[in-house]
Amino acid sequence: MKYLRWLVIIPYFCLATLPLCWLFLTSLKTQEAAISPTASLIPTTAENTAPGGLSFSATLDAYRKLATPHTGKAHAFFHYLFNSVIIGLLSTLASVVLGTGCAYGFSRFRIAGARDWLFFILSTRFLPPLAVVVPVLMMYRAFDLPNTHLGLILLYTAFNLSLAVWLMKGFIDEIPRAYEEAALVDGYSPLQAFYKIILPHSATGMAVTAVFCLISAWNEYGFALALNNAEAVTVPVYFAGLQGNIQGIPWPQIAAGVLIFVVPIVSFTVLVRNHLLRGVTFGTIKQ
Amino acid sequence: MRVKDGVLKYGFVGPALIFLIAFNIFPLFYNIYLSFTDAELSGGIARLIGGRNYGVIFDDTRYGTALRTTGLFVILAVAIELLLGFALALALQKPFWGKPALTTILLVPMMLSPAVMGLYWNFILNGHYGVVNQALSAFGLFQPQWLTDPDLKLFSILIIDIWMWTPFMMLIALAGLNAIPNHLYEAAAIDRASRWTIFRRITLPLCSPLLFLAVLLRTTDALKQFDLVMAVTGPNDRATQTLSALLYQVMFRGYKIGLGSSYSIVILLIVIAIATIFIRYIASIQAKQGRETA
Repeated sequence: MKYLRWLVIIPYFCLATLPLCWLFLTSLKTQEAAISPTASLIPTTAENTAPGGLSFSATLDAYRKLATPHTGKAHAFFHYLFNSVIIGLLSTLASVVLGTGCAYGFSRFRIAGARDWLFFILSTRFLPPLAVVVPVLMMYRAFDLPNTHLGLILLYTAFNLSLAVWLMKGFIDEIPRAYEEAALVDGYSPLQAFYKIILPHSATGMAVTAVFCLISAWNEYGFALALNNAEAVTVPVYFAGLQGNIQGIPWPQIAAGVLIFVVPIVSFTVLVRNHLLRGVTFGTIKQ
Repeated sequence: MRVKDGVLKYGFVGPALIFLIAFNIFPLFYNIYLSFTDAELSGGIARLIGGRNYGVIFDDTRYGTALRTTGLFVILAVAIELLLGFALALALQKPFWGKPALTTILLVPMMLSPAVMGLYWNFILNGHYGVVNQALSAFGLFQPQWLTDPDLKLFSILIIDIWMWTPFMMLIALAGLNAIPNHLYEAAAIDRASRWTIFRRITLPLCSPLLFLAVLLRTTDALKQFDLVMAVTGPNDRATQTLSALLYQVMFRGYKIGLGSSYSIVILLIVIAIATIFIRYIASIQAKQGRETA
């Protein structure tokens, strides 16, 4: 029984992490080495390695090439990465601010139909992006918003708000009401109590919420694809557009780009590892 | 603290609610309106054409096929991910050296972008230079054409989905296992219960509420499957066209948004039905937690 569990863990661990290891190796290869029908596994610093051998000469070319536009594309990878960063950060900021306020309101005030409102908020998360994107697109056309950063920022804010409200409500519910009551007795106004008591005490919650909002905005594809074809293209849409390229798909560059794209997400995952469960269950399961 | 300050409380909850209504309720109703028109993506004047779009979708064989493909995908993906994830959680139940780090590493795939990783998996599964087929050939095994064989394409998408989302099931199942009080296992040990009895009478029943929650969450998500389909085959492949892919094909490649909207209404009904079950379930969990803490 003791060994049985390793019989499950080790094979799964190897299979699950191999794609990520392979990603790293590929980013060090040349295009020829990457699409060679005999894969080489060991990076070496040797200048010339025999084709078809186990080792290949490692190069950082793929990373360097990310700075120049790929054939048929208007901009280099970093341009799209910058779009992703701007859109991700601003929409995250907006969802956390709006979500925290809303969660505080539902947590501390008597609001008519509070439960119904909360479940309405949760239900918005389940709508398939493609089923709501056309009306949004029509609405945006009226305001000249398609193809803009602002358009995607607003959309991602709306998309992430449900998560932000539910997560933040879980965190704020845990702050004892006695703290604010003491502040009110001391002569704070309700708004001051919110700023000086609730906000500092929910800092962790806000950070966790921000990470989850950032990750889902960072990874989003359906909305970004439907609303953008030129100005505010994010990394997932850019990568997807490289398929069907005449010169073949530049795998080492894609691997290098994916790695750069994924490293922040992996670091954030490690940072919020103790709150992952909360994040994926909308704060309903706490541990 | 119950502050009777009407303005203040609506100042807190109002902005978020207005935002959500503008981006969800409005599109929903607009979608219903569009589904009765012949609107095109390119603009122009849309005319009301009654229920003709709904007539078209029931004649469209693509629609039935997409429903079947989506259903098959959801059932297989959720079932396999549940079994694998639960098996992993059982294996990870007892503490051992390095368990937190190992668990965190295992969770990484579910945080990644399906669209980006889907594209990258094309490289891994490629029939000529893909590392999977090279490994198979090293063992002298048959080399399937993962991305071009019509019988295998959906299966390849399934593999990627399982890679990404098994950790999700594992995470929730682990939480369920951790919540089982130790004294139950101790009592079972005193009664000399067999491993199988302990699993069937203690572990499984006490874990199942959380497993059900995980299944509901994964189902609503898998129903929307779009990113991986786009990355592996594009939206217009008969073998892998899910409902979302069909929607994309009709609206953004065919420019028929009136027709697309009527497709989307049917998808919405399915998603809303499952989401309602999910929300009722959350409400019951919360009610239970409320009783326990009260």
